[in-house]
Amino acid sequence: MKHHYWEPPIALYLFLGGLAGGILFLSAIFNSFVIPGYGEIFAMPVLISLVCVAIGCVFLIIDLGQPGVFWRVWTTATSIIKWGATFLVIAAVFALLYLLAYLDQAWPIFAPLSQLLLPAADFFLIVAGFFGLCIMMYTGIMLSTLKAHAFWATPALPVLFTISAISTGCAAVVLSIGGWPAQITLESLLAAALVLEILHIVDIVLVIAELIVLLTMVLSFAGAGNVTAKKAAMRWVKGSYALLFWVGMVFIGLLVPLMMYIGGGHSAASTVVAPILVLCGGCLLRFMVVNTDDRADIPGEIRYYNRVLSSNGQEFTTKWEYGKNLF
Amino acid sequence: MTRYVMVIDQRRCIGCHSCTVACRVWNKLPLDIIYNPVVSEGVQGTWPNVHRNWTPLLCMHCENPECVPCCPSGASQQDDDGTVWVDPKKCLSCKVCVNACPYGMRDASHMENRMHRFVRKCTFCRDKRQLDPDAQPYCVETCHQKARIFGDLDDPNSEVSKLIGSVKTDRIFTEFGTEPQIYYIPCLGGQA
Amino acid sequence: MAEISKESTGFKDLVCPDIVSTEVDVNAPGVEMVKSLCYFCHANCGVLAYVKDGDVIKIKGDPDYSNKGGLCCRGTSALLHVNHPARVNHVLKRVGEKGEGKWEQIPYEQGIQEVADRLNQIKAESGAEAVASAGGTTRTDDFARRRFLNLFGTPNGFHNALLCWIPTFMTETCVCGWSPFETDLGAAKSLILWGMNPGASSLPSMRGYTDLQMQTGLKVIMVDPRYSETASKADLWLPLRPGSDSALALALLHTIIFEGLYDWEFVEKWCDGFEELQDRMIDYSPEWASTITWLDPEQIRAAARLYAMNKPGCIQWGCTWDQMGRASTTVAHALTLIRAICGNLDVPGGDGMPGPAINYLTDEEMELNDRLPEEQKAKQIGSNKFKLTSWPGYQLISDNAKRTWGKTLPAEWFCEAHGPSVFKAILTGDPYQVRALIVNATNPVNSYGDAKMTLAALKKCEFLVTVDYWITPTALMSDYVFPAAGALERPIIVTHYGATDSVMGGRRAIQPKYDRHDDFTFWRMLGLACGQSEEDWPWETIEDAYSEIIKPLGLPISGWDEFVDNFRMYYPPLHQSKFIDNNGFWTPSGKIECNSTIMRQLGYDGMPSYTGTAENPEDTPELLEEYPLVLTTGGGFMPFHHSEHFNMPNIRYLYPDPYFYINPDCAEKLNIEQGDWCWIETRRGRIKMRANVEPIVDPRVIMCPRGWWFPERDGSADLDNPFGCLESNVNTLTSVDDIDCDPKGGSWSNRGMLCKVYKCGEFDKVFKPEDAQFSIPSSAKEPGIHEMPSDQKLCVEPIPFEMPECTKEVPEGYYWVWQNDGIYQKGTHFKLDDSGWLIDPKTKSYIDAYTGWRYDGNEQCLVDDATGKKYTMERVEITYVAGVRTYPGQEAPYAVPDQLTWDQEKGYAVLGDKPYVYDPNSGWMLDPATGAYHDAYYGWLYDASANCLVDEATGNRYDMSYQPLQ
Repeated sequence: MKHHYWEPPIALYLFLGGLAGGILFLSAIFNSFVIPGYGEIFAMPVLISLVCVAIGCVFLIIDLGQPGVFWRVWTTATSIIKWGATFLVIAAVFALLYLLAYLDQAWPIFAPLSQLLLPAADFFLIVAGFFGLCIMMYTGIMLSTLKAHAFWATPALPVLFTISAISTGCAAVVLSIGGWPAQITLESLLAAALVLEILHIVDIVLVIAELIVLLTMVLSFAGAGNVTAKKAAMRWVKGSYALLFWVGMVFIGLLVPLMMYIGGGHSAASTVVAPILVLCGGCLLRFMVVNTDDRADIPGEIRYYNRVLSSNGQEFTTKWEYGKNLF
Repeated sequence: MTRYVMVIDQRRCIGCHSCTVACRVWNKLPLDIIYNPVVSEGVQGTWPNVHRNWTPLLCMHCENPECVPCCPSGASQQDDDGTVWVDPKKCLSCKVCVNACPYGMRDASHMENRMHRFVRKCTFCRDKRQLDPDAQPYCVETCHQKARIFGDLDDPNSEVSKLIGSVKTDRIFTEFGTEPQIYYIPCLGGQA
Repeated sequence: MAEISKESTGFKDLVCPDIVSTEVDVNAPGVEMVKSLCYFCHANCGVLAYVKDGDVIKIKGDPDYSNKGGLCCRGTSALLHVNHPARVNHVLKRVGEKGEGKWEQIPYEQGIQEVADRLNQIKAESGAEAVASAGGTTRTDDFARRRFLNLFGTPNGFHNALLCWIPTFMTETCVCGWSPFETDLGAAKSLILWGMNPGASSLPSMRGYTDLQMQTGLKVIMVDPRYSETASKADLWLPLRPGSDSALALALLHTIIFEGLYDWEFVEKWCDGFEELQDRMIDYSPEWASTITWLDPEQIRAAARLYAMNKPGCIQWGCTWDQMGRASTTVAHALTLIRAICGNLDVPGGDGMPGPAINYLTDEEMELNDRLPEEQKAKQIGSNKFKLTSWPGYQLISDNAKRTWGKTLPAEWFCEAHGPSVFKAILTGDPYQVRALIVNATNPVNSYGDAKMTLAALKKCEFLVTVDYWITPTALMSDYVFPAAGALERPIIVTHYGATDSVMGGRRAIQPKYDRHDDFTFWRMLGLACGQSEEDWPWETIEDAYSEIIKPLGLPISGWDEFVDNFRMYYPPLHQSKFIDNNGFWTPSGKIECNSTIMRQLGYDGMPSYTGTAENPEDTPELLEEYPLVLTTGGGFMPFHHSEHFNMPNIRYLYPDPYFYINPDCAEKLNIEQGDWCWIETRRGRIKMRANVEPIVDPRVIMCPRGWWFPERDGSADLDNPFGCLESNVNTLTSVDDIDCDPKGGSWSNRGMLCKVYKCGEFDKVFKPEDAQFSIPSSAKEPGIHEMPSDQKLCVEPIPFEMPECTKEVPEGYYWVWQNDGIYQKGTHFKLDDSGWLIDPKTKSYIDAYTGWRYDGNEQCLVDDATGKKYTMERVEITYVAGVRTYPGQEAPYAVPDQLTWDQEKGYAVLGDKPYVYDPNSGWMLDPATGAYHDAYYGWLYDASANCLVDEATGNRYDMSYQPLQ
């Protein structure tokens, strides 16, 4: 393996994209099916999802070698990346429309626009939520189609990513529901409290589900016949990633918030610390998965690149510049 | 039809890296890009019963390339003659194709202008062949040992067709279904 | 390959980049193809350079040359080399302290004049011998250098030649009259590759071996302690202990003799002293050798049988034997005897002995060796010890070659000062102070032995001038650095150091860039600036000199470039089994000398006897406790050549750090893992390299690549170790003490030394100033000079030689050769035949002993080849009128027709008063003024167009039977 072709911005992008998708998906469900009529309490979560999408897109584009040509993603038919970009744009546009519909609550100057959009706000969120779901699934499917990478090429990965995305979305909604620009009323406060109660349970379920999928995936790879996948999984189970995996992801990112959710009631541990830990765990998951880009080795390849790559950064690579004669 | 393939005779390869350097020099590649590494596991066995072998690599110009359909911008493409190449003008350098390739034969340089990096790969010296249809890729032309043989598989009289028809050849990672088109004549000997 | 244009910028470019193709179209108008040669190693592959507007735009391997279109990493990088930003482009004059790296650029002519003035001053003060010159490996045409040194008057030119072929060549020439180095592989059945690795050092040869293995089933026997690239393709591999080659060679010789595998008929007819050799070899059994070489006796026997029973066979020459130190010439000697007694010398499918070039000028004829006074020859440093490769041995061998071949070896390479002794002389003033050193195309710190001592000498040298491509550690210490023209910038001639009879060539593709010049121009300009005459440097350019060299070939060409364009190479007609035509080998005795007379005359043993390397587990077991491992060095490795190409990023990227080879078993014991930086230490010092752990060498062996330095560093920052030239340089570990050198050839010890290896510790990973201190002798515990070079002993005592009494009377101007009891003319070295005639060995023709004129048997006359004039056997000049031989003052020697009269004064028959000359061969009269034919009866003119005769007086025409024509 030479180096990681996809660097941290991509992992962040996958995390933020999934997070935004999760927020929109949950917001849409709650707004349309659980407690209709309190749309303003989801303005803040939607805003956060927009910020996530924006930051994610910035990371995505700066990772491109030729960012100026990014528009070309919409020029082909087959590429799965094209679908991702499309979902992202549609979700973002409708989320923005939704947000604008409630913006007048903080900034009355937007009242005419908001009044215009408000009747369709629920529809906007439904659309955004649907494409949010697409984004969540896309982040996992995109990796899992790259069959050169044994650790990614598994149906478990999209499932894991989707669960994790909803779970982190859940955490983000918990932290942000009812916030600016909503004009809080007693009613909406109650609605928000209801949502929080439900989300509390939902996230417990999601964290447990994520734990099951994650352990199933990693441990089954660790016992698998595919040497590449096994090697990668062993790195997670008892290799260089073991500390991050067991302590960081499983314990702090999943088990601790799970215990807080279950035992914490309405304490700050349960309503603030646990969601933050879930978010951190989700982020860590993306980093670790993206970095586990092991490809089956062609015999001798590692030995070759180990030697050649020790050139990187050595003085002789930059000492002489053609055209600038020294003597 | 024409179908370009390469036969690599590992019985003849001595790991001199001439092909690697010729490719880098004439394709004007940045330092960190190597299209055709010559890899080896080193000397194997227990002294003095040892053997060694070199595997010259390059893009496999697969019949079913993984790296073409995944490209979002249409930069990664395949000619009718089988040549897989990247149009630098169209490439976003999203590196999905780099990750899609099971052989690790694509990459974008980290030593170039940050705003103008594109994914590079072996093109069987497509530009050279466009100037002169009979031209051989640089790695083939420069090989002292004649360990790399390039030609048209659809032409039954070509050297590659004859070799593939007469000698046992191997291909790398056929399990991905990519149908790689680089054929290796393995070195089974070792020390006599 | 296409790339994004670097020209355009702006928003448009960002969203839609401009693409330019980097492909160069060599068929475009205005592109000229020039046949050039690669100049980065000895293989000198053919290169086609495509030139446009005075610049090379592309090169490729020449498909019609020995490389068959192939070019290695180095050759391919030629354009990057020409334009490398670190190339020296102008004359640099030191303005700061030595080594400070502060330079002033001055014009070439000024630099030459300043250097010349200083050299002349040193010559006036201390004698010409105080000026020495170190050369490099085929980056230069050193006949020009030797010409300069001879005219200047110093015998102290030297190369790394003693590590590369020369001691072997001289040994082989002593035994059989020339080095049998031209293998005829196409017809061979077996091939021994001894310690050489063409798979990394000579790719065209490797291609040939591979092809033949697959096509003719050539059996390749590989002798190498390392499982090299080539060994991995061999049929039989003998992984001997490094440095035990002499034992293996002697055991092979023993086996071939005592198993009766040699060519009885050949030995009977052509070998002298075989019984003595047989007696000498008795003890060298494979069993004896197996403990020394770590090989199984059966392996040794198998190799001997494989070679001797698959006749004809070749033993490819290599440089291994020259790098053994003490044992060097022993190995070469034994192997050449193996070739000889197996009847593989100069036969189809065997080892060909080309001899010097008879058909064109040899390098020796370009050197003006007769201009170096005898007393200066005697001052050559090292010639009192290492006689085979310096003036004493060269003189004997060269005189013999002139007697037998008619031409000889060049003195350059084959007759040189002992390089390390010159460096010691700079440091110690012993035998005299060497004050100036001109270094051309070499970096002695990395290429000569005992790098610490060499670096100290270069620092101390009073006046140091370097001609090089780069600022090497040596150039950094110099007072003047001259830029050198490299590959593509100069024409190249390949005559294998002037030791063969074929010639190959390449053209200059472009004029040298900046102020770079080829070495011929450098030496010529320096010579002229020193006051040497224009007549001694008659050729203005290197092409002119090359043209002179090939002029005797008589090809229809006007100069060097045309030779390259139209011929490119010249091979004499296939010339095998020459010894049969010659009725003898080209040794003093005319036989293969199993007990070499020249060696005995020089005070050496004439037959090989076992010599181990300076340090080894058998002979110096006391060292094993501290230094338990055997170190071998000196092998070439891709992609570098000697100490060059470390500054080519494209190449270095593949091999960024120095790696040494260590067996996994050994590494495990020493707790060393792949890639660890380790110290490798001998009694002489230590270096650090990274471990390459693989079973490529024996667990008791360490192998280090050569040449490492770090041109990317700031050389002036650490003058104890400028450019890191000591810290990973294997020559920090080698020994040049006289006692460790080969007593005949002077090669120093590179292989089979004892060492230890340990990991670089946390507090011990920097090469410190104390690691850079030299000592003489090099194994001394304390730094400094403990022993003067003159006091250093050789590893063997000279064997007194008494020449037999001459029983013949030797005329004045002649000398006697004791080996064949022959008498030879001084100067010409022609043999005086019993008949009183001299014999020219080149043509086998008889020469008049008094005049030097050649006897022409057809015309029964003498010919002065210098002027073309002919003489009678009485040495009277033969005169010709209109191409008809005349006999002035004599009676008619032929029957004069009746109608003619014999004019005794003029010496020919005339017709009346007509001015015509009678030609007795044709029966016609010839008009000296016009050359026209006239008939011998009437003197009528013959008109060939009408086939008739014309009476010029009347204009009447007659047919051939004198009948008038209308």
